[in-house]
Amino acid sequence: MNKYLQIAKLTWDETFVYRLNFIMWRVRLILQTLTLYFLWVSLIPSGTSLFGYNQSLMLTYILGTSMVGSFVLSSRSHAVGDEINSGNLSNFLLKPINYFLYWFARDVGDKAMNIIFSIIELTVLFAILKPPLFIQTESMFLLLTLIAIALALIMYFLFNFLLGLIGFWSPEVWAPRFIFIILLNFFAGGLFPLDILPKFIFSIFQLLPFTYLLYFPIKIYLGQLTMIEIFTGIMISLSWTILLYIVVRYMWRKGLLVYTAQGR
Amino acid sequence: MKNLYKYTKIWWIMSSHSTQIALSSRFSAVVFVIGKLLRFVFFFFFLVILISKTNTIAGYSFWQVIFFFATFNLIDTAAQLFMREVYRFRTYVVSGEFDYFLSKPLSPLFRTLLGGSDILDLPMLFLSIVFVVTAAVQMEVVSFVGVLLYLVLMANAFLIALAFHIMVVALGVLTTEIDNALWMYRDLAAMGRLPIDIYQEPLRWTLTFAIPVGIMITFPSKALMGLLSTQSVAIALLIGIVFLYGSYKFWQYAIKHYSSASS
Repeated sequence: MNKYLQIAKLTWDETFVYRLNFIMWRVRLILQTLTLYFLWVSLIPSGTSLFGYNQSLMLTYILGTSMVGSFVLSSRSHAVGDEINSGNLSNFLLKPINYFLYWFARDVGDKAMNIIFSIIELTVLFAILKPPLFIQTESMFLLLTLIAIALALIMYFLFNFLLGLIGFWSPEVWAPRFIFIILLNFFAGGLFPLDILPKFIFSIFQLLPFTYLLYFPIKIYLGQLTMIEIFTGIMISLSWTILLYIVVRYMWRKGLLVYTAQGR
Repeated sequence: MKNLYKYTKIWWIMSSHSTQIALSSRFSAVVFVIGKLLRFVFFFFFLVILISKTNTIAGYSFWQVIFFFATFNLIDTAAQLFMREVYRFRTYVVSGEFDYFLSKPLSPLFRTLLGGSDILDLPMLFLSIVFVVTAAVQMEVVSFVGVLLYLVLMANAFLIALAFHIMVVALGVLTTEIDNALWMYRDLAAMGRLPIDIYQEPLRWTLTFAIPVGIMITFPSKALMGLLSTQSVAIALLIGIVFLYGSYKFWQYAIKHYSSASS
């Protein structure tokens, strides 16, 4: 366990090597958040509501998805495909290390860094913009939000890992990831709450895994879901996580059989 | 004139090569084009849903908002199409390959910016033009002067986009950390997907004059709609020229401090 803690710590330190790049990455996230923030402020002036959201709920949703996104979607495991293609995977196969846990530890180090900066930035934005935020006080909703976030980050890790495993069969690992990012940006609910969509489309979205990465945890926090809806959501999220885990294990085993350490 | 011919010919040859590379994997090429189209369609769909409820965004009608969005896409896509090589620049600096750019009888800035056009952006460019024309026709307030000013300010927008790219590669020469700088430019430009009127002061002022995203993307559209004063057009052109000049000076400074440490 200690070695994985060290890997997470090294990932943390590594971020500070490329300080300017990290700062720019954070500035990018602030810009993206500000764009959405001002769009929704302009659409929902104080005292009005739109799609069932008043300004307070909508801004909490936007800032909340920004913070949850910093935690759930920050990742290093996107490099798995390149490692396979370059043959670097061989180094790990020879070491007494679990390759899944290695990348999960790298993700944890990255997430820790991002969540700390995200909290600082949102605090500064809060001090400047003074948005009317919704504060959830029910401990049950807060606990369920944390459970949904935990499932979301495991699911996202498995997604990333799975996309990387394409490297066993093809050098084209970035094209599928590009499509994945486009789908994620729209279907996860980072741009808008998914329930503003027409009911038929939203009911399809509820079956997709993306919904449970950002939209679902924040909706629980906002207290806008019934206990039955939360339970159903967690079950769907859990099912996707288990399914992805099974697929990842299967693809990993199959991939190792065709791995030729090309490039080494 | 002779130089222009030479550089056009070189650009054509390099673009042909980058096109062959881009199409060497049919699968990737198709997936990237589909991804770009999906990104456009998804945001368009989002705008449709919004305006179906609100009727306007910041006082702009549906077709006006679409016009802003299509104009953003046109500028953004054209910049990517012609200056895709900037996305590969870090590799050249880190590997030391940039030294070869400097030793050839060719402007290293030209080679860095325009050394590999991206044909995969061509479908998006056509789609953007179709949406710009359709939205302009639907708005029914288009005048000859408006179109003329739109074209002039679009040329100015491309100069500002060029200036942004020059600054990014100059930063890359100095720090080798370029990737997020480039994406930061993309995010700043994306703030102009919607009219900058949605932003509150002082952010709106900053986006208009300090980081001229507003001049780059919102101003051309406003000019076509007849919502821009002559004074604003003059200021826009002046800022465009100053921005380009400043970025070129920054490039010259960066190139003087290039250490060739990786080679």
